[in-house]
Amino acid sequence: MKNTKKLLSQSVIAGLTALVLPLAVQAKSDDNMHQLYQDNCASCHGADHGGYLAPALNADTLKGRSPTALRSLIMTGSFDTLMPPFYGRLTDDQIRGLVSHLQKTPKLDNPAWTIDDIKSSLKVYVKDESTLPDKPTYEINSMDDVIGVAARGKYGRGEGSKAVFINSTTHKQIGEVPTVTAAHIIDYNPANPRWAYVKTDTAEIYKIDLYSMKAVRSVKTGFNGPGMGVSRDGKYIMAGSFVPHNAVILDADTLEPLKTFELEGVDPDGKMVTSDSGMVIGTPYDDIFAIALENAGQVWVVDLKKDQDFPVTKITDVGRHLHDAFLTHNGRKLMIASYDDSIVAAIDLKDRKIIKKLEAGCVPHVGGGSAVKVDGRTLGFGTNFGDCDKTVVSVWDLDTMEVVKQIPVSGGTESPAAHANAPYVAVDIISKDRRARTVQLIDKKTLEVVKTLDVGGHAYFPEYSADGKFLYVSAGYSGDEVVVYDSNSLKKVASVRMESPAGIFSHGRVKYMTRGLSPDEMEGAK
Amino acid sequence: MRIFALSSVLIASLAVAQSASAASIYAGHAIAASTCAQCHGVTTPSSGAPFPPLAGRDAEYLKSALKQYRDKTRVSDIMNNIAGSLSDNDIDNVAAYYSKLKP
Repeated sequence: MKNTKKLLSQSVIAGLTALVLPLAVQAKSDDNMHQLYQDNCASCHGADHGGYLAPALNADTLKGRSPTALRSLIMTGSFDTLMPPFYGRLTDDQIRGLVSHLQKTPKLDNPAWTIDDIKSSLKVYVKDESTLPDKPTYEINSMDDVIGVAARGKYGRGEGSKAVFINSTTHKQIGEVPTVTAAHIIDYNPANPRWAYVKTDTAEIYKIDLYSMKAVRSVKTGFNGPGMGVSRDGKYIMAGSFVPHNAVILDADTLEPLKTFELEGVDPDGKMVTSDSGMVIGTPYDDIFAIALENAGQVWVVDLKKDQDFPVTKITDVGRHLHDAFLTHNGRKLMIASYDDSIVAAIDLKDRKIIKKLEAGCVPHVGGGSAVKVDGRTLGFGTNFGDCDKTVVSVWDLDTMEVVKQIPVSGGTESPAAHANAPYVAVDIISKDRRARTVQLIDKKTLEVVKTLDVGGHAYFPEYSADGKFLYVSAGYSGDEVVVYDSNSLKKVASVRMESPAGIFSHGRVKYMTRGLSPDEMEGAK
Repeated sequence: MRIFALSSVLIASLAVAQSASAASIYAGHAIAASTCAQCHGVTTPSSGAPFPPLAGRDAEYLKSALKQYRDKTRVSDIMNNIAGSLSDNDIDNVAAYYSKLKP
């Protein structure tokens, strides 16, 4: 009775407040909607409403869209994309509230995330690392045989979101580490095989002990952005964000931030801009990081000299909207994709200048890139989204920096996989129809597509096992499995179930630098 | 997606032509992937999803539930619409697919 009275009087007060202060109530509901957006949508659509893996959702981009259509899209999700159904997860009122909130919210300014914010976000899960086992707690011949898969989870967060590790000789799962939001990038420490680093969609970096399959520490480096690299000595990590426009160097051991960089500069059209961070890469060639400033069209080379406060050499006018890259020639040359002028720029990291800009199809996205030695030549393979009529994979001679061939493929592509011991270069077809289920295989010698594999789901991110005997492919969303093929016969040999798998990262990458090269390539670098 | 839907229809009609009574799990898989998987998963739903798993459920139960959703004797905003697009054959096939799947 007492309670009822209390509730009643509360609701009377609430009712009165609503009458008297409609603005205050409105503001409160917007606060709730803002929180709902941050908790359910922001990791893909951007904490600033500016888009990330998924489109920007703000007053501008949603202008004139039917609220009813938006509501049903949120309820059912979108079949050909990562967008999951929110029916049953959010109430109808919440969905309606979100739609109206989004249609009147402008793209927000970049929220600040300073070195102090990064410092205070550090979490330690294992205080004393000497308590960890000194060898793997599972059966494995070489740590190079570990393959890591970024399992997104259907909702990009929650129980399904984790880094899953597989023994690539037995195709059995050997461990998994929950990451709260979707795992995006997995990198390995080149100096110590036990450490892996996982970056999530919301820019947390987890330091993972592969021997015990446990997260040891984590730190939040920003709000989103995939950029992460590890230095050749395994002492530093560099991470770059889309939101906010900065990058940070971390101590790879403690994950403590050492220095942040504001990403801004004059773009190739002469305009001063602040910039998203594209790829960040460490190289076996030198104690440096290279980082792409996407919008400024610059590549910065950061010398890992702590006593000199990490000096930067800026290479300007590289291209319009830079994104990802791969290394060649012992890690001295960097091949970086430029979306808007459809080139891949070759950069010499020793002289710190552009060697040449090469034709690269339409909207090149090289993923992890691939390079193979064939008949004395080193050939680089470049995938591209192919948002035009021409859907090709570009092949470049990386010694002479000439285009060798543009191989017609059945659609847009996102990531090429190659291995010194495997006969084919695999590319994932991403065009949003039945082709998205497929991966095409290019013969290294003839440079022709020789086979199309129907993997199912939305097949992407092919990767070879470290020994080159097996090809791993994510069947992605609506596939929910990683499918394993024999590299020579292309027969399916195994399947590993997980929720919405995406990027696949072999531990072997630390040995061969760029996929497709032999570990011998690295000898000259040391 | 259209090609996919079309090919699943083709597969379904081929399966029917071969044997009028036997349900095809291949055709069922195609329907599952194009119609059900978004919520229920092609094998299991997301661990974070509020949707029931279908793998290993009794085929007769799945068929009767889908038919009830289709004729709206069982009411659900979403399922009434989705089941409304399925033929008797589709229902037989997709029920065969999920019922034979290991949970």
